[in-house]
Amino acid sequence: MELQKFYYDNKIVKMFAYATIFWGVVGMLVGVLVALQMVLPAANFSLPFTSFGRVRPVHTNAVIFAFVGNGIFTGYYYSLQRLLKTGMASNWMTRVHFWGWQSIIVAAAISLLAGFTTGKEYAELEWPIDIAIAVIWVIFGWNMMWTILKRRVKHIYVAIWFYIATFVTVAVLHIVNSMEIPWAIFKSYPVFAGVQDALVQWWYGHNAVAFFLTTPYLGLMYYFMPKAANRPVYSYKLSILHFWALIFLYIWAGPHHLLYQALPNWAQSLGTVFSIMLIAPSWGGMINGLLTLRGAWDRVREEPVLKFFVVAVTAYGMSTFEGPMLSLKNINAISHFTNWTVAHVHIGALGWNGFLTFGMIYWLIPRIFATKLYSNKLANVHFWLGTLAILFYSLPLYWAGWTEASMWKQFNAAGELVYPNYLEIVTQIMPMYYMRLFGGLLYFAGMFILVYNIYKTVQAGSFVALEAAEAPALEKEGARQSGESFHRFIERRPVQFMILAIVAVLIGGIVEIIPTFIIKSNIPTIATVKPYTPLELQGRDIYIKEGCYVCHSQMIRPFRSETERYGEYSKAGEYVYDHPFQWGSKRIGPDLFREGVKSGPLYKPNSWHYNHFMDPQKINAQSLMPKYPWLAEKEIDIESTPRKIRVMQQLGVPYPAGYDLKATDDAKAQAETISAGLKAEGINVAASKQVIALIAYIQRLGTDVGDSKTALK
Amino acid sequence: MSNTDENKKHHEEPEIDELTKDRYLGGHEYDGIRELDNKLPRWWVYLFYVTIIFAVVYLLGYHVIKSESIKKMFPSQEDEYKSEMAALDSLRNANPQATVDLETMVPLTAPADLASGQETFKKICSVCHGQQGQGLVGPNFTDQYWIHGDTITNSISIKNLFQVVTNGVIEKGMIPYKDQLSPVQRQQVLSYILTLQGTNPPNPKAPQGKKYDKFG
Repeated sequence: MELQKFYYDNKIVKMFAYATIFWGVVGMLVGVLVALQMVLPAANFSLPFTSFGRVRPVHTNAVIFAFVGNGIFTGYYYSLQRLLKTGMASNWMTRVHFWGWQSIIVAAAISLLAGFTTGKEYAELEWPIDIAIAVIWVIFGWNMMWTILKRRVKHIYVAIWFYIATFVTVAVLHIVNSMEIPWAIFKSYPVFAGVQDALVQWWYGHNAVAFFLTTPYLGLMYYFMPKAANRPVYSYKLSILHFWALIFLYIWAGPHHLLYQALPNWAQSLGTVFSIMLIAPSWGGMINGLLTLRGAWDRVREEPVLKFFVVAVTAYGMSTFEGPMLSLKNINAISHFTNWTVAHVHIGALGWNGFLTFGMIYWLIPRIFATKLYSNKLANVHFWLGTLAILFYSLPLYWAGWTEASMWKQFNAAGELVYPNYLEIVTQIMPMYYMRLFGGLLYFAGMFILVYNIYKTVQAGSFVALEAAEAPALEKEGARQSGESFHRFIERRPVQFMILAIVAVLIGGIVEIIPTFIIKSNIPTIATVKPYTPLELQGRDIYIKEGCYVCHSQMIRPFRSETERYGEYSKAGEYVYDHPFQWGSKRIGPDLFREGVKSGPLYKPNSWHYNHFMDPQKINAQSLMPKYPWLAEKEIDIESTPRKIRVMQQLGVPYPAGYDLKATDDAKAQAETISAGLKAEGINVAASKQVIALIAYIQRLGTDVGDSKTALK
Repeated sequence: MSNTDENKKHHEEPEIDELTKDRYLGGHEYDGIRELDNKLPRWWVYLFYVTIIFAVVYLLGYHVIKSESIKKMFPSQEDEYKSEMAALDSLRNANPQATVDLETMVPLTAPADLASGQETFKKICSVCHGQQGQGLVGPNFTDQYWIHGDTITNSISIKNLFQVVTNGVIEKGMIPYKDQLSPVQRQQVLSYILTLQGTNPPNPKAPQGKKYDKFG
C-alpha cells in the first residue's frame, strides 16, 4: 500500500516543555516560600498578597495545573502524534490550547494572590476562570479525539486509553464541582452547601489526583518508559484489566477525605472500601512499568532518564499503597489533619509527577533538537539531589504528623489532655518544618540543574519544528471480526471507547452524590441552626478570601481528644448554610468550629481576636500565624450585602422575603455594637472595617447548637 | 503489508523476546513499542481478590447485617464516640478529683504545687495574661489592682479568684475553667499567680480595677 507523508508538530511539544520548566521553577519557588513561612512568620511580610493563606493555593495550583498540567500536554503532544502516525488534526486548536492554558495560569496566580478564591481546595479559581478552563479543556479534548479519528494506526495504544479517560473525567469533575452563582464579576457562591459541598468537593479533589496527576501520567509512562528502555511492555492483559479497574474504582474513593467527619457513615465506608480495592489496579501500572525494564536493568545504571522513571514509578507504587492505608478508619483517625497527609502527597508530587516529568524532558528535548543531552552527569546529579530532597522533605513530615497526632490525643491518668495548649504542639514540630524546608530547597536546586542542562542541550542542537514521517493510510475495517476479542475491537473504535470510559467513571459519582442530596436522613436538620447574619456573611467571605481554611479546620471529629479540646463534635445539620463548606484538610493551627461558643474551651473575647489578628506573635511568641494589619484598614464591601443575600436566597438559604433591603442596615448595626465593645476595651477601630466582620463571623462559629456541651446529647 | 497479514504471521509463529523469553503479541506495535503476551501475575490477581473480599465483608459488617454482636465489631462513628466517652466517665468516677474546701482555702506554698501551677499558667493563662503575668488582653497579675475583689471587706483573696477561674467572667472574655482544670489545679495556678505580685515584668499592662492592700 502507498505510503503517505505527514509531519509531527514538534513546535507545540517544545512550547509546552518550556512552559513546564518555567512553571516548575515558579511553582517550586512558591513552595519554598510557603515552607519558609512555616518557620519564619515574618516571611508573610504582613501584606495581603504574600500571606500564607493566599500563597499556598498558588503553590498547589502552580505545581498541579501549571507544572504537571503542562507536563501532561508536553508528553501527550509528543506521543499522541507518533502513536497515531499523524500530525495533530488542528493546528489552531493546539495553539489556542497552549496560549489559553498559559493565560489561565497567569489569571489564576493573579486572582488568587488578590484574594479571589472559592475557598475549595484545588478548585479555588473563580467562575470566569472556571469557564475558561472548561472551554480550553474541550478544545484540547476535541482536537485529541479528532486526531485519533484521523489516525493511520488501527488500534489505539494503552497510553491513549488513559488520555481519553483523563479528558472526559476531568471535564465532568470540573464542571460539576464548579457549579456556582456569581454575585460579582470575580466572586460567586457554590450551589452546594455543607456536607453536600464537601462530598462534591472531595469527589472532585480526590479525582483531580486520580485523573490529573495519575491517569495522564500513567499514559505518559506507557509511552516514555518502553521508548527510553527500548523494551516491550510487560503485559497487555494487565494493561486492560488495570486500566478499567482503575478508572471505575477511583471515582468512588473521594469520601476517604471525610472519614470520622459529618458525612453519613455509608458514604465514608464506600470511600474506604473502594480505596482498598484500588491497591491492585494501581499496582498494575507500577508492575507494567517496572517489569518493562526486565532484561534492561543494566541500562538503568547508565541512563539517568531510566533512573528518574524507576524512582517515579516506585514513588507511585508507594503512594498508591499508602493512600488506601490512610483510608482505613483507624489509620485515618491518626493521620488526618496532620503533616502525614502533606508528606504523602509530596511522595506523589515530587516522586511520581516530578521525576516522571524530569525523565521525560531529558529524553524528549534532545530528540526534538536532533542532538544528545548536554550532560548525563548533570542529569545524574539532578537525580541524586532530587532523591535526597524527597527523603529530606517527606521523612520529617511523617515524623511531624505522628508527633502532632500523638500530642493531640494524649491524656493523663485523670483523663485530661496533656497538651491543651495547641502552641506546644506547633513548637514541638518546628525542627521538622526546618528539615522540610531544606528538602524543598534541594529539590528546587535540582530544578536549576535541569534548566542549565536543557539550555545547553538546546544550544547545541538544531530544532526540528516539523518532523517528517510516513505510513500507509488506515484501511477501513467494520464490524467485529471472528476471533477478535471485544477489547481489541473497541481499541479501534475510539468514540465507543470514550463512551464506555464515561460510563465507567460516572457510576461511582452518581451512587454517592445523588443519595446525599435527595435522602433527607443523610443530613438531619437541627432546628436551632440559623442563617448567618449579613455581617457574619461578610466576615465569612473575608475568612475565605484570606484562606483561613488552609490552616484551620472547621470539623470536630467524634473523638474524646477532639471534644475535650474543641467542644461538641460537628453535626451534618450544622453546615446547611455553608456555601462553601470550610472543613479544611490540615490543621496548622487549631480547629475553629466552636470558636464562638462562650462556655467552650476555646472562647476568646473580641479584643483578643482583634489583637491576635493584628499581631499574633505579640500574644504567643511562637505562633506561626501571619499578621493581618490590613483587616483594620480595609473597608467591608458593604454594598455587596443585598446581592449576597439574594444569591443565598436563590440557593435556598431561608432569609425572609425582601430581607436583602434590610440586610445592610442590620450589618451596620451589628458592626457598631462590636466596634463599641472594642472601644470600651481601649481599641479604636471603625465599624466599617473588615476585622469587625471577621470577628462577628468567628464569634458565631459553632454557637447554633447552644452554648452547652450537652445541648446535642 | 497490511495489519491483518502482520497479525496472521504473529499468530502462526509467535515471536519470542530474546532477553526474557516471553512471547510477543502479534500486531501490537505502536511507534516501535511492542507488547508481551504475559499473563496477569498470580499474586496480583490474588491481591485484587483479597481487597474485594475485604470490601464485601466491610460493607456487610457496617451496613447490612443488623445483629448486635456484629454491630459491636463494626460500630458507627457515633457509637464509637459513645463508648469512648463512657470509658472516660468510668475513669473519672474511679479516680474522683480531690476536692478543695473553698471556705478555708489559702494559697499553696509547696514548690511542687507552685511548679504545677506555673505549668498550667504557661499552657493556658499566659495566652491572655502574658507569659510573665504582665497582662495582654486579660489584666496584669503583677500589680496590686484587681477587678474581682471583695469591695465590702475591701480585700482580695484566693477565694475570690477561685470563683473567677471556676465560673469565668464571660462578658469580659474570661471563660470558666471548671471543665478543664481540676479544683486542685485551679488552686495551684492561683497560688502561682499570687507569687507574681510585685515582680515588675517588662511591658506591663496598665492597672485595671481597684487597688487592694489587704490580702486574705
